[in-house]
Amino acid sequence: METEELLLNMGPVHPSTHGVLRFKLRMDGEIIKECNIVMGYLHRGTEKLGEMKTYLQFTPYTDRLDYISAFPNNYAYAKAIEELAGIEVPLRAEYIRVLTMELNRIINHLVFMGSLLMDLGAATMIMWGFREREKALQLFEMLCGARMTFNYIKPGGVRDDLPDGFIPKLNEFLKDMEKRIDDYEQLINENEIFLMRMKNIGVISAQEAINYGLTGPALRGSGVSYDIRKLEPYSIYPDLDFKVCVQSEGDSFARYMVRVDEMRESLHILRQVVDTMPEAKIVAQAKYGIAPMTGMPSAVSTYFPRIFAPPAGEVYSRIEAPKGELGFYIVSDGTTKPYRVKIRSPSFCNLTAIPRMVVGLKIPDLIAAFGTIDVVLGDVDR
Amino acid sequence: MIENAYQLIVYVLTLLGVYEWIYGIFQSFGIDYVLQIIIVFVEIVILFAFVLVTVMFLTWMERKVVAMVQSRYGPMVTGPRGLLQPVMDGVKLIGKEDIIPAKADRWIFTLAPFIVFIPALLVFIPLPFGKSLIISDLRVGLLYIIAISAMSPVALLLAGWASNNKYSLMGAMRAVAQDISYTIPLALTAIAVVMFTGSLSTVDIVNAQGGTWFGIIPKWFIFIQPLGFILFLIASIAEMGRIPFDFQESESELVAGFFTEYSGMKFAMFFLAEYAHLFAVSGIIVTLFLGGWEGPALPFIPVQLTSLVIFLIKTYAVIFFAMWLRDTVPRVRIDQLLNLGWKIMVPLAVLNLLLTGFIVVAGVI
Amino acid sequence: MPWISKNWTMKGIIKGLIVTLKHVFHIGGRPTVTVQYPYERMKLAPRFRGKHAIDEDACIGCGICEVNCPNSTITIVKYNTRWFPQFNLGMCMFCGICVDVCPMNALKMTGNYELADYTRESLVYGPEKLLFKKEANQ
Repeated sequence: METEELLLNMGPVHPSTHGVLRFKLRMDGEIIKECNIVMGYLHRGTEKLGEMKTYLQFTPYTDRLDYISAFPNNYAYAKAIEELAGIEVPLRAEYIRVLTMELNRIINHLVFMGSLLMDLGAATMIMWGFREREKALQLFEMLCGARMTFNYIKPGGVRDDLPDGFIPKLNEFLKDMEKRIDDYEQLINENEIFLMRMKNIGVISAQEAINYGLTGPALRGSGVSYDIRKLEPYSIYPDLDFKVCVQSEGDSFARYMVRVDEMRESLHILRQVVDTMPEAKIVAQAKYGIAPMTGMPSAVSTYFPRIFAPPAGEVYSRIEAPKGELGFYIVSDGTTKPYRVKIRSPSFCNLTAIPRMVVGLKIPDLIAAFGTIDVVLGDVDR
Repeated sequence: MIENAYQLIVYVLTLLGVYEWIYGIFQSFGIDYVLQIIIVFVEIVILFAFVLVTVMFLTWMERKVVAMVQSRYGPMVTGPRGLLQPVMDGVKLIGKEDIIPAKADRWIFTLAPFIVFIPALLVFIPLPFGKSLIISDLRVGLLYIIAISAMSPVALLLAGWASNNKYSLMGAMRAVAQDISYTIPLALTAIAVVMFTGSLSTVDIVNAQGGTWFGIIPKWFIFIQPLGFILFLIASIAEMGRIPFDFQESESELVAGFFTEYSGMKFAMFFLAEYAHLFAVSGIIVTLFLGGWEGPALPFIPVQLTSLVIFLIKTYAVIFFAMWLRDTVPRVRIDQLLNLGWKIMVPLAVLNLLLTGFIVVAGVI
Repeated sequence: MPWISKNWTMKGIIKGLIVTLKHVFHIGGRPTVTVQYPYERMKLAPRFRGKHAIDEDACIGCGICEVNCPNSTITIVKYNTRWFPQFNLGMCMFCGICVDVCPMNALKMTGNYELADYTRESLVYGPEKLLFKKEANQ
């Protein structure tokens, strides 16, 4: 019988491409022969904006890269500038930063689990995930006044100290979360249909994963123990006790399991951070920029510099964001605006491995594999 | 003895003392068959109204069950606890623009929603809602139900093809493959039940399940046919096209499957057909395996009423299970679904048939 | 098919069904958590970053907020013989930098987040809508 190949455009507007992403698929019936990724539909020129804005004005824009987990973006940018200008950060600020980032890792993985299961057809998990995410978002709201785009971690510290009643609420969340993760695992982990959909789907070997530049849970799912928190420790991570979650199979289920384990690991980190939080209430470094104006009523305005120009030079600083390695490359020419900002975003690099994973599989497998890569289109297109 | 809804209406009218009078009027004109037609018409209107109200209730119930599982409230604003939400949805859908894509086959595109809806309604004809509450006790009732259900893939294929959309076509193809491969285990397990009753009539099947063993266990076929029940349940969930087997839609893969291009009232027709089908199939499960309307009779209340209530309770229990399952499991893949159908369900159904044959021949039950 | 011989009990699905049923009947601390939004609202945190407010007595109209705003949301306009910032909230991303940089601590952000409107022009909030007096507020 004469057959014809089907060219299927999945996206740019499609329920399970998590935003505006387009897959150009050459299909033989239901089987994918070739997969091309067309991205850039959400390109907002964030890197160029970084060159147009001053160092301090750019922080809110980093929130909008990976909007599911904005604290690590804030932090990566702040860390780059701190390395560029040689700023020391008060210890309590570092603790607060790690606290927010790990909390953000948990809710990122909650959204991951929810959207993955949503793509597979089970609508319950996303609501349960959002239920717990809501509690974390309320904590963020207490902390910085915003729920998704925080603009909280600044070069030199954080915007404000922990508010009253934050730690008890956090402890409550941590206690609750443990039980909830049990619920999720009971719902999902042994579900035969879920296993059928995830096992041996989108397999990528360790060597290939490294070649494709995968980072984060996607790489750790292939059995490579690569975590920047351990390899190139930053902030207070050297003092904390945590392990790198690795699964060896390299399939979609391994990538999923890595994230579930990481959630528990993050809870463990959070408990340590809460226990060892320094008492000194200094949360920002006041020694840079112009001298603080004296006699001002606000505590905030005493340390927030209005003009800030780091010395000329360049820096590449990277952190372990929930989705993988997030790096900021900044070139300074000694003025108040960066000469060049380059963002190495984990979603973009991880996404490129999709065609390798899915050729020969079917559309539902593409969705499962794509879901376990966990991209946010704001991070891909920047 | 009242056997079907027609006779019931006649009986009620006689009790009210108006039947003889009306019949006399018609007879004096020599057109007493017109009265028969009118009564049948009334039956159809009642059935149609019942199906519509049921469908509305089911959409509300689906949302509520999903909401309860997901720690939400669900619809709360329109009417008491959101009960009128389906009405508002209907009003909204009527108000929508009826879009026919430029490249679509206009005639088939318009026709398909109706072809989907008609079988979903016709299935109700031999379905016994209660004692003597049946439109027509066909002697081939079960065969009729299976045959009518097998019509729905045609309509789905028409809809998918006429939309001239790749997603629609793939959804329709999947739906057809799925329906065909799951009708076979469905029919085979139904035959196993028929082997006990020796009749295809749904009323006979229900009557065969009356009474109890040892005074406590009701003589439902689920206890003689546990394997058959499970197979029938899985196959009928696949027939209904619900998660975990909702390939007709599979919204995360194929946008909305074969009704991607539909909007407004035509979309509502698909929706209506889907939920009417859900109710019909649940009713069939109850009839075949869960004793139909058989249950305790209450004194002083007409047996028709109690049996209807019992039937509805059982049916809604099955529907609740379908909804509950939907909220728990993800969707299987299309090839896995067909594997399951042909490699597991069909052989098991044949095995079930064989075992049933041995039991019937041995005369154990 | 080896898959079915291993999984014929469907243990995982039954486990899942049990945990969803627990949610249906709110067993074991799994209550309904959503709120009926327009009728009941959640309590906002005091630091919530919503619509701005300008302290009429404190603001000196210096324009530092205008300079520091990343999105050019703020313009300084004349109002009742004095200069005040005017916010085009259609462009604002509620980052709070203007509040941080204000030398007189005259700006603050309120809990008003229902700012949807029909025209872009109505999203420009001039001083007449944003000014408040500290005494009156307390």
